[in-house]
Amino acid sequence: MEETLGGLKGLFSTVTSQAVMEAAIVIAAAAMLIFLIQKLVPGVAARLGGKTRLYLLASVPLLRLVIIVVTIVVVVPILIEPSFENMVAIFGTLGLALGFAFKDYANSLIAGIVTLYEMPYRPGDWIEVNGKYGEVRSIGTRAAEIVSPDDTVVLIPHSTLWNALIANGNDGTDNLMCVAEFHLTPGHDVRRVMSLLRDVAFTSPYTKTMKPISVVVAQHPWGLTYRLKAYPLEPRDQFRFVSDLTARGMDILSEHGVCPASVPVSVASPA
Amino acid sequence: MKDENGADSEGSPLGQLITMESWRIPETSVRRTVKGAVRHLMAQLRQGIAPEEEPFQSLDDLPVLSERQRERIAPYPDYFAQARTLVASLETLRTSGAFSRDVALIVAPPFSGLRESLVRLPTLGPDGATDPWRLVAPPEDLCMTEAQARQWWDKQDLASAWVIPELGDFWLRHPAGLALIPELLRRVAAGETGPGIIGCSSWCWQFWSRYLPDAHLGPLTPAPLDAERLGRWFGNLSILQDRRPLVARMADDGLYVLPIDDPDDGSRRKHAGFLRDLAIASRGNPGVALAIWQHALRARPEESAEAEEQTTDEAGRYRECWVVHMDQLSLPTMLQTYDRAIGFILHALLLHDGLDEERLAMVSDVRGAPLQLALSRLVRADIIERGDASRHWRVTPLGYPTVRRHLLSWGYPVDEF
Repeated sequence: MEETLGGLKGLFSTVTSQAVMEAAIVIAAAAMLIFLIQKLVPGVAARLGGKTRLYLLASVPLLRLVIIVVTIVVVVPILIEPSFENMVAIFGTLGLALGFAFKDYANSLIAGIVTLYEMPYRPGDWIEVNGKYGEVRSIGTRAAEIVSPDDTVVLIPHSTLWNALIANGNDGTDNLMCVAEFHLTPGHDVRRVMSLLRDVAFTSPYTKTMKPISVVVAQHPWGLTYRLKAYPLEPRDQFRFVSDLTARGMDILSEHGVCPASVPVSVASPA
Repeated sequence: MKDENGADSEGSPLGQLITMESWRIPETSVRRTVKGAVRHLMAQLRQGIAPEEEPFQSLDDLPVLSERQRERIAPYPDYFAQARTLVASLETLRTSGAFSRDVALIVAPPFSGLRESLVRLPTLGPDGATDPWRLVAPPEDLCMTEAQARQWWDKQDLASAWVIPELGDFWLRHPAGLALIPELLRRVAAGETGPGIIGCSSWCWQFWSRYLPDAHLGPLTPAPLDAERLGRWFGNLSILQDRRPLVARMADDGLYVLPIDDPDDGSRRKHAGFLRDLAIASRGNPGVALAIWQHALRARPEESAEAEEQTTDEAGRYRECWVVHMDQLSLPTMLQTYDRAIGFILHALLLHDGLDEERLAMVSDVRGAPLQLALSRLVRADIIERGDASRHWRVTPLGYPTVRRHLLSWGYPVDEF
């Protein structure tokens, strides 16, 4: 350990103030570039729709990784001579530091790189992790940022990737299936209701009609549950879409005399 | 092949029917595709920078054609002649065995002139081989049950030659407005009708081919107009109106646009790529191409719009005019919007090939003040217009390319043309 630290001390003893200044300028320029990319590209993407928006958003973490790697490649030779011994000393020290002091942080960093390779989620995806659902707004070095439907920002460390179940609704595309549920009392023509609900989906202006539309039904002791499955024009329309399907569906079912099932409400008396 | 009016049916937009599967967009270059994509992206990004959109304006200094000059040089087609050409094309397909159904479903993009041609079929009279065509008009109230739809079709005479100019008039994208078309298509598929022709907008068919995925009616479609067919068609339009050939040259470099053929004396003319660019910009759609063509024509700089006869050469053998480069044409641009209302309205108008205000509200689910405000903005931007007689709102031919492209990028289901 002492030998490694001694080697590291000797390694940096040759660093001049001019080299430090140059390295600082390169790092500052890289940081500025990353900052600009993280601010500008999502802004531009917000003005666009469809796949272009998703591609642009997904390019942000990749560009940042490229800039970080290029910065390291440029800065290291400025500060030290990139010989084999020097590299061993540098990476040995980094390994020790990361192993002891920043274990969890390093875990997230590595998981972040794996995220960029495996792409379990990308900016623009709608994911659910540990019960939190929202749109991936950005993928940082350590954590992903999702925005919930109620406009709450949730930070999910990349290390969650190793042991959590991640549900991705649209998986990098602009196709996200939505389900509107209808709980109805029994005693109606099931095929007729299925046909009516299919018409509801086909006539909603939010529906992407080139994608499949289906109605499934399940029986319960209290009645029947219909699940109307269809795709909205864009994933971000999902809540308005389900609301529209529900409102239209309830209207047409009411016109045809089909009643929604209701659960008896019991009110507990105060103790 | 020339018809009795002297129109070249090979150049006519409806002169060549093909299957929908064999339709291909006119060939484009990588440069033009990239240029178009970059322009579309820039148009989207510019939205919001100039919040108050304005109608398009000419970007060059050449005088535009007067209405009278435009009617002579680039008139609207003779839809009676197109109707004859269409029937002749169908007969040719039947004779050759390429098409054997009693009922022909012809799907065409908006502004193809299909509705205008088919609506004139009954006035053409029998051609000897068939009975006179009978027009089937839609009911006043499109909201009906399946039983009511069956009753309504029972009352229609579909035994002898019948024609529906636009299937989009027979439905509303509303749960109560879907009954008529499935019943008609069922009867057609079951062979319960006599010979007929159904015209259908490509947007309308896009919806119904999804709603009734098993409706395999072998739809035909007019072949797209490539640069050569466009050139012949524009040349024929001018000759039919003016009895003199049209010579059109680029305003910037003098290269020839029309006529597309070299002179008989063996000399070669240098031709511009305008018609190729036009075919690509309009996706081979004749109505859109004609609208852009009319918009691109200019009189000579030294002439006033009133000096009509000066657009001919001294001997009066041909008519001459100038054409502005496509890049100099300012076409309508889409509005800045973060709301779905604009898209809902435009998509509804295209699905139904135009709607009155009441039905537009019903289909798009945009009502009251938001509807009025959106319509007003779209009219100011020259993207939609209201028909004088029908009072129906429609997308303009010049606005159609940008509308289609934006609806596609906003995630809407668009037609295949």
